[in-house]
Amino acid sequence: MRANDAISGLVLILLAAAMIALTAHFPEFPGQKYGPSLFPRIMASGLIVCGALLVRKGLAAHRTTGAPWVEIAPWVHEPWRLGSFLLMLGLLLLYIVASETVGFIPIALLFLGALFLWLSVKPLTAVITAIAATLIIHWFFSTLLRVPLPRGWLNSIL
Amino acid sequence: MDAFLAAAALIFDLKVLFVIIASAAFGMFVGAMPGLTATMATALLVPITFFMDPVPALGAIVTATAMAIFAGDIPAALLRIPGTPASAAYTDESYAMSKKGELDLNLGVNLVFSVLGGLIGVAILILCAPALAEAAIHFSSFEYFWLALLGLTCAVFMTSEDPLKGITSLLFGLAINCIGIDPAAGFPRFTFGNVELLQGISFIPAMIGMFALSELLRGAVTVDQQGAVLSQKIGNIFTGVFGVFKKYWFNFLRGSAIGVVIGALPGAGADIAAWISFAVSKRFSKEPEKFGTGHIEGIVDATSANNSALGGAWIPALVFGIPGDSITAIVIGVLYMKGMNPGPTVFLQNPQFIYAVFIIFILANILMLPLGWLAIKSGKQILRVPRNVLLPIILIFCVVGAYAMTNSTFGIIIMLVMGMVGWLMEENGFPIAPAILGLVLGEMLEQNFMTSMIKADGSLLFFFERPIAACLGAATILIWGAMLWRGFNPKAGLIPGLDTTPGA
Repeated sequence: MRANDAISGLVLILLAAAMIALTAHFPEFPGQKYGPSLFPRIMASGLIVCGALLVRKGLAAHRTTGAPWVEIAPWVHEPWRLGSFLLMLGLLLLYIVASETVGFIPIALLFLGALFLWLSVKPLTAVITAIAATLIIHWFFSTLLRVPLPRGWLNSIL
Repeated sequence: MDAFLAAAALIFDLKVLFVIIASAAFGMFVGAMPGLTATMATALLVPITFFMDPVPALGAIVTATAMAIFAGDIPAALLRIPGTPASAAYTDESYAMSKKGELDLNLGVNLVFSVLGGLIGVAILILCAPALAEAAIHFSSFEYFWLALLGLTCAVFMTSEDPLKGITSLLFGLAINCIGIDPAAGFPRFTFGNVELLQGISFIPAMIGMFALSELLRGAVTVDQQGAVLSQKIGNIFTGVFGVFKKYWFNFLRGSAIGVVIGALPGAGADIAAWISFAVSKRFSKEPEKFGTGHIEGIVDATSANNSALGGAWIPALVFGIPGDSITAIVIGVLYMKGMNPGPTVFLQNPQFIYAVFIIFILANILMLPLGWLAIKSGKQILRVPRNVLLPIILIFCVVGAYAMTNSTFGIIIMLVMGMVGWLMEENGFPIAPAILGLVLGEMLEQNFMTSMIKADGSLLFFFERPIAACLGAATILIWGAMLWRGFNPKAGLIPGLDTTPGA
């Protein structure tokens, strides 16, 4: 997705303005002129200047060459490719929400299995690779590096 | 000398050597796979190195990146797809050579000159770093403020064709860095009452997101497009390499020198070194008409340059704590987490650690010869690994890696958000490297800025009172001036007369 620079600029200006607004509540320390709000304010002001320049540039491009406001990449119109992209994001969200309750091993199996099958890996290869990869990663991080990967449903077994 | 022996003892340990060889194999593989970059190799390694001692951790990163930068040449020759962006400059040239039937010589030259270029990079690192550190020991907050600013300025100046987007990216990184407890007064900023945000945006998950996840998202939509490997047999790759060396030794030295300088400049790494040295080679060649038809000359320059740039990038990283490229930016993040703040004091307090980096670098480059030969021999098999199997595995690896940094899903959330941001930035032509540098250097910049402001009581003249600070300040302002000039004269290139527009 390619947005016109004017849109990127506008978003940046809004973000930076919000940042400056938030610094209004930062405390001042008596006897010290420069507090925690100084640096963020300078950065946000810089972002506003850059944002304004981007808006100017984007508007100029729109006027002279008729550049569209938002340009959609061709792959978005192919359902399978769009699906791959969204599936990756969806699975990541699912992992964030569910991993603590479900546990690493079941969710990693689902995660890998679903992606393999969607990306048209042969079913048998998909199942075997998913199991092998999950177990190796689990062994590596959980046993070798002692990362407390969530146990979830398998709590009683592991 | 004691420190040197201590360093050698740290490295020539069975476990450390095993880590080095394993990461060498890993780096070869990642570099040889199109779409997986050397920076990504580092990003994937960091969650693992986090649990190691500093020396094996650095050994893993140094070795993996050196191998990856070389291995990127293999698919360039076989597939016409660069394995890492650092090989993009001469991919067409290299493929043209392969099609002419000079595949063996091509791969041999790539391997041998990568090794030699890498060694030159290390040699200059060894010569320059301690001397610079001696000067840097007297620096005060003013000098460090200017150094950080100069580093960030270079990052913008070098990385992007569009300086405005580079500056925006940099400011964005610096602004994100403001989240969390502020370094001067200890006040929690922009945390919205969230406890996990108090420590700020954890650097490693952010970097895994921006360098690995965004790359995977891009790869997901092209997963079925795997190029066809040339069917030529690979014979003895070392035949004729010495002849090339005798003919083009000057190109090799020039390429390596350019590589070190570009590598040492903050923000520009191996890829830009390769583009510039290739362009220089063409400009000053006696037979420029041969470029583009499968001519070895430019490849000698560029393949030496991208490997020597790796060593160059460590010079400012070790001496000032200012990364020379995105790989050392990650390294500096790792060092801070290990409680070893990079800077001149490390040379005094932990010299064995500096020597260890030097030894690992030399070792990695020597190791590259046999391992690179193996990688070339098995290049066709490596390139046959299906991307639709690889991609999901790397993705789950990123997830676990981001989790391991915070031991909570918070790390994964940061990775996802920053990955999306990184993806959107790349889509819209905003370079990612300045944002990451902003994230790494932000705290140092703010801390030294605040200290200096308080010392100077707001008088900007104070920032120029010490001689070195004044020079650094003047240099910074000069580069900003050049950038503004370039902003108003959009046709002026980075270096007049050279076409160095990176394609990827």
